[in-house]
Amino acid sequence: MAQSGKGKLNYRCPLCFMRDLDIDMFYDKDKKEYYCLRCQYTGDEADVLAKNEIIRIKYGRMYDRITDFD
Amino acid sequence: MDNTFVVNIIHRPEMVPEYAEKVTGQGKAEDIGRKALLTESLDIFKFQQETAHKNGLKVTIQMTYASLFNDEACELAKKDHEQYGDEIALSLLGLPCKEFREKYKTKDFCIWMFSMEDKKSIVDDVFGKFYDRFGFYPESTGSYYMDAELTNYIKEKYPMVKCAVATCWEEGPKAYHTCNNSWYTLFDGGPWNPWIPSKQNTHAPAANEAEDSGIVAIPHLSRDLLACYDGNGSNFGTHPQNVLRGMIYDTKTWEYPYLYNLIDQYRYLAKFNNGYSYNMMFVGPGWLNKMGRWEQPYELLKKSYEDGMAYYGELKKKGELIDMTMAEFADFYRKNKSYEEPECALWKDILYGSDKQLFWYADPYMRACVNMDQGGAVVDLRPYASKIKWEVGIGTKHVQDASYPFLIQEKYRAGYFTHYAGEGTVRSAKVSYNGEEVDLCLCRTHATFSQEGKKRILTLDPVEIEFYDLTVKIGTRIIFEEGSSNIQHERTILEMSNPDAEVEINEYIVACYGTTEYPEDMTGITLGVIGDNGEKTINYEYKCRDEKLEGASDAFAVIPAIDTKVSLSTDSKEGLGYIEEGYAFSPMFKLGYKKHISDKEVIKTWLNLEKAN
Repeated sequence: MAQSGKGKLNYRCPLCFMRDLDIDMFYDKDKKEYYCLRCQYTGDEADVLAKNEIIRIKYGRMYDRITDFD
Repeated sequence: MDNTFVVNIIHRPEMVPEYAEKVTGQGKAEDIGRKALLTESLDIFKFQQETAHKNGLKVTIQMTYASLFNDEACELAKKDHEQYGDEIALSLLGLPCKEFREKYKTKDFCIWMFSMEDKKSIVDDVFGKFYDRFGFYPESTGSYYMDAELTNYIKEKYPMVKCAVATCWEEGPKAYHTCNNSWYTLFDGGPWNPWIPSKQNTHAPAANEAEDSGIVAIPHLSRDLLACYDGNGSNFGTHPQNVLRGMIYDTKTWEYPYLYNLIDQYRYLAKFNNGYSYNMMFVGPGWLNKMGRWEQPYELLKKSYEDGMAYYGELKKKGELIDMTMAEFADFYRKNKSYEEPECALWKDILYGSDKQLFWYADPYMRACVNMDQGGAVVDLRPYASKIKWEVGIGTKHVQDASYPFLIQEKYRAGYFTHYAGEGTVRSAKVSYNGEEVDLCLCRTHATFSQEGKKRILTLDPVEIEFYDLTVKIGTRIIFEEGSSNIQHERTILEMSNPDAEVEINEYIVACYGTTEYPEDMTGITLGVIGDNGEKTINYEYKCRDEKLEGASDAFAVIPAIDTKVSLSTDSKEGLGYIEEGYAFSPMFKLGYKKHISDKEVIKTWLNLEKAN
């Protein structure tokens, strides 16, 4: 098995991001998956992107342009 | 001042951008002199400069040590200085380059972490090199953190320096954790907006001319005063790519209203600061990497920078923004602010959708945070009155830890809620009646801000406490008076369902000291309670002891490790003052004051901070 590298973009582990950790993932080209060195997450690009959307749930007003600060 | 929103935009030509070598160079042997890296770095600098100028904005160009060896970078700076009035300044960031490594034989790059001897040598080296290049010394400098000893040395040798980027707000253990415990920027506890640092400690503003370090400090970025307090600071600031790092954007439209909301909430702070508000944007070139940055492709990074600049540019065109160089800002600040004028921010959640509201206050004597979602409890407190001497860098007791110590920090030391046993740090009050007890931390409310002379007043919306057979409505005012070094809490019983009833109010502070999440040794702390009836003391030994005194005027703690005395005082003669020692599982101390009060009665207490020695 050859060594892992970075993918075309430098994805972070979505599960670690959820606990406020920025951990770069590495890409296993044999298994065609990203994996986290710190936790047990593995997933392909589509799964990473889907989980990145879930991350955004915590930002309840992410899409709002706020003009009233009172 | 009439609604003056000042913006400092800073760029630095960094020949080896942070992250670029480590991240985009993955899979290659380290070579910080790579030609491709240098070319890309300069291209990023050019792009940033062009984008600011296109939007009619003035820039402070902070030359890095590495860029002083590069003819093209220096020529670009000179040209933009002449054409656009940009200030040519000098950053103490961006030290890494072949020349630096060969000379100093180290991979260290954070100026505050070097030994004092090396700090002096590096400062003389970079200032000398700057002079050789430009024929004058810079008026502005900076780093992510500038320790007092470093600033004092610079000011002594290069008195023309008047402005410096001197801290990153709440960049401490939280940022360290986010970076997998590998990013050693530990400097929590400073002001979020510009200030005049004292000679003794950078975080603590000077109270007078004698304490004045001689510079105006600006923060590295303007950060979200709620999100950064409970999260990774590097996701929530006036730094478009930080917002992308936080994934706070729509992946379909590439829009990020949060960035504009953040800028606008900073503009709104003029309401609490005599018409003045401030923003700082300083994007290092590593964030505009052609290879993209984490999930974001270069096109999105570029767009976000262009959008950020365009927004500032638009505000300027409307006459709602004044762009200044750092040196210009220092002059403006000196002209318009006094030493004791506090910085105030009544801040609301603009990201998560909660209704939470915090009030931040900073002056030469303290930095405090009041949490309206916890009934106006003080949830963070830094005793600037102590002006703690806290040398940092190799050869000192604090090689990396530059944070200003806290007495209260609800995230690191629990706050109201603890698991199973003990208490966390907070300053609040409990109300008791017939064996029932309610802490005001559980009474969610909001505040309005007002100013009366030298007093900044938070008036909390009244809260109702429901006991089994009594309802009590309580009003709270929290008063910060310039120069007083105290916080006054004024509680009023506004209404009781039984006007003849009496309730007990227990005003208290639970505190400790530290800079991180982990406990410090409390041995050596002296607790005392004092009044007309005498004085009782406890020398802290983790023995869970307590003392009480009828008619006490003060309950206090002296904490030699941080040269601080904190006390809770009252003007009433009829209550009971008390002190409580903690124990190993709850390494805290508690100071309190209990009194029975009835309908329409008012109780006033003051939390006071002093230098202990």
